[in-house]
Amino acid sequence: MHVVVDLNRCQGYAQCVFLAPRVFALHGEEALTYTPAVPRDQEERVREAVVACPVQAILAGERAGP
Amino acid sequence: MPPETLFERITDFAARADPYPLYAELRDSGVARQADGSYLVGTYHEISALLHDPRVSSDPRSRAEPHEDPAATGLPPSFIGLDDPGHDRLRRMVMRPFGPPHSPHRIDELRGEIQRVAGELADALVAKDRFDLVDDFAFPLPVTVICRLLGVPEGDVPQMHTWADAVVAGLDFAPGEDPSPRQRAAREARQAMGLYLGELAEQRRRAPTGDMLSALVHEPGPDGALTRQELMVSAVLLLIAGHETTVNLITNGMLTLLRHPHEYDRLRDHPEEMPAAVEELLRYEPPVQLLPQRSPLADIEVAGVTVPRGAPLILVLAAGNRDPLRFPDPDRFDPRRPDNQHLGFGSGVHACFGAPLARVETHLALTTLLRRLGDLRLVEDSPEYRRSPVLRGPRHLHLEQHRR
Repeated sequence: MHVVVDLNRCQGYAQCVFLAPRVFALHGEEALTYTPAVPRDQEERVREAVVACPVQAILAGERAGP
Repeated sequence: MPPETLFERITDFAARADPYPLYAELRDSGVARQADGSYLVGTYHEISALLHDPRVSSDPRSRAEPHEDPAATGLPPSFIGLDDPGHDRLRRMVMRPFGPPHSPHRIDELRGEIQRVAGELADALVAKDRFDLVDDFAFPLPVTVICRLLGVPEGDVPQMHTWADAVVAGLDFAPGEDPSPRQRAAREARQAMGLYLGELAEQRRRAPTGDMLSALVHEPGPDGALTRQELMVSAVLLLIAGHETTVNLITNGMLTLLRHPHEYDRLRDHPEEMPAAVEELLRYEPPVQLLPQRSPLADIEVAGVTVPRGAPLILVLAAGNRDPLRFPDPDRFDPRRPDNQHLGFGSGVHACFGAPLARVETHLALTTLLRRLGDLRLVEDSPEYRRSPVLRGPRHLHLEQHRR
């Protein structure tokens, strides 16, 4: 699984970091960083993060991008 | 006297089982000034804009006519009733031991414990022909989890429960009844709970135990340490908020799924779809129906209506969640609804602090119940509701079980 976050939409609610802290991290108060290639054992947590994002900024798929 | 204004009709107990037709009326009437001078907003885009507007205050002292003196408890306000920068400072300090950036693993590490408690509670239900989902599951789960998170010893959990009940009863609306005895009991319970948690934090200062209270007193960040009173009110806030809202989310969730048996069966067979279903429950039957505490700091214009400075501004989140201008077919429960940016946790700087915990608890609670229990039937539909129009949910949810 690959993941992409639209950082123009991201508002730093950090729900993804709570739900999948091995994939998403906050750098300081608001800047989000993440691991684009999701380890298999984290895929379920990333799916939780995708639906929980209050601004729907996370795209996950088998191949990210167009 | 029968209720007259729209807000009286919404808060009237008769509307509790199904307030949604009144919310539709509210959306149609625009920003609705009530006879008592308060303003009701029920449309999605207006609520969303107001939740992000720095001219909208959450501090009861911003009201032209404060309805209750927040200093009456002898305690300072918690961050839910403060504006920035005071709100931001306190919330950041309490977030430090709870979530990112400083403690990103706290909730994730609680999953095993939540699953264990949910599993034990469900085990006790498996052999029963009939039970009350509220008393036997939805209530004990969140109170046990929030106490574990904070570090309240297991033996003291029932006491927390009693105090929390009194505090929540004090938030209740019951038109025609004198609220002062309830409010006095709520203040006393809040004080007692605050003193207890303050004392517990002192013990943790001497001997830390790895829980959130220990971290609050031991690891002050760049903002310094919370005062003893700030710590007391913040811990009380977490305990109350972590308690009441999740009970209703779990109970409303089971009620909604039992009313949609096709979705119930599908989610039982596809538990990986539960996180999205929880988001839809937060839209469709949100446990916090409205935010009654806001007021503008200046005269502001909302959808062509001027709301004067200091007027009570009531944001009906549950009405915004069913606004057809934002959600197609809004009265349909659709666990696979795309683009579900609901207002169930509010939005903006006061967005629900405990949202990630509520999500994980409800997800694990509902998947555990669906997996473990037999065929369930609602004994009564509608069930008996709690009085509160704000924290709305069934008081009991009696279910009959036929073992598979």
